[in-house]
Amino acid sequence: MKASNKNNGFKTPEGYFEGLTDKLLSKIAEEQSVLPKEAGFKAPEGYFDTLQQNILQKIDTAEPKVIQLNPYRKYYFAAAAVAAVALVIFGINFNSTESPTFEGLADSDIENYFENNTMELSSYELAEVISFDELDINDILDNQLIDDHIIDYLDDNIDDLDELNLETDE
Amino acid sequence: MVAEDDLVDQLKQADTQSKAFEVLINTYKERLYWHIRRIVLDHDDADDVLQNTFIKVFKNINGFKGDSQLYSWMYRIATNESLSFMKSKARKLGVNNEELHDRLANNLQADVYFDGNEIQLKLQQAIAKLPEKQKLVFNMKYFDELKYEEISKILDTSVGGLKASYHLAIKKLENYLKED
Repeated sequence: MKASNKNNGFKTPEGYFEGLTDKLLSKIAEEQSVLPKEAGFKAPEGYFDTLQQNILQKIDTAEPKVIQLNPYRKYYFAAAAVAAVALVIFGINFNSTESPTFEGLADSDIENYFENNTMELSSYELAEVISFDELDINDILDNQLIDDHIIDYLDDNIDDLDELNLETDE
Repeated sequence: MVAEDDLVDQLKQADTQSKAFEVLINTYKERLYWHIRRIVLDHDDADDVLQNTFIKVFKNINGFKGDSQLYSWMYRIATNESLSFMKSKARKLGVNNEELHDRLANNLQADVYFDGNEIQLKLQQAIAKLPEKQKLVFNMKYFDELKYEEISKILDTSVGGLKASYHLAIKKLENYLKED
């Protein structure tokens, strides 16, 4: 095929053919994948410069604090205690060799266990270890329940407050 | 740069420990940060998880047997820390993992530490919909540019399975980005 262009007056912009290969190749690459190469996340400026200091400080000062993310946590401990006691009792009855004891477990192990295993405790199981008198509604809720909020909720959602037969001190 | 074996030895000896740990942090901080960030999406969460990862590495270095490479061991800790962080976060918010990831990806637009364009945002929303394993493999292969062999050591899965997961993930993501 002839690359020259003789008999007509058409022309191309200068340097058109030089850039064409690259342009086509990058276009093909784009066509092949619609996925962007960068994720788009960024870190705050100077974050990596101070990071080392922050970590070393944490190691020097104190044990890293485990942030309590789960309000049910304290009941898990109670449940674990019950389970451990049961284990010890059965261990004594059926097996004369040494059994694991609750004291022998590090708190961090128990915590890790609950952290890393999905515990689906039913209401009945929870009820067995928690006495109802000790249970406060705010132990279960992430947001504190304030009287005003309850009144607001009732105001918005209940058509006739009188139907509730609320007893008031007034 | 210090050879990995020497670094591990130095990390295990009391007199060289702190200096070696500084080297370790400086060598891996960025790689591990981006790996964690792609899982937890939020910068502050990534910062928490990254610091906990290094602290765990520091505390457990004596238990590191050297069967795997130091960095795959650290990647594995970072991955596990990130996944349990997301699990706890989901539990706290009373949603499942997928809903949480969806929610986070949809909030990225308002995140000052995300400056992705529309496509990049959409990609994150699409990744959020992938099953956990495909999500991990995609991020590690596509963005971290790790080899299948390396990912297989970190995630403890076969190379064949990883390849299948990766191709499935790519297909799903491309379809999601193409549709409108």
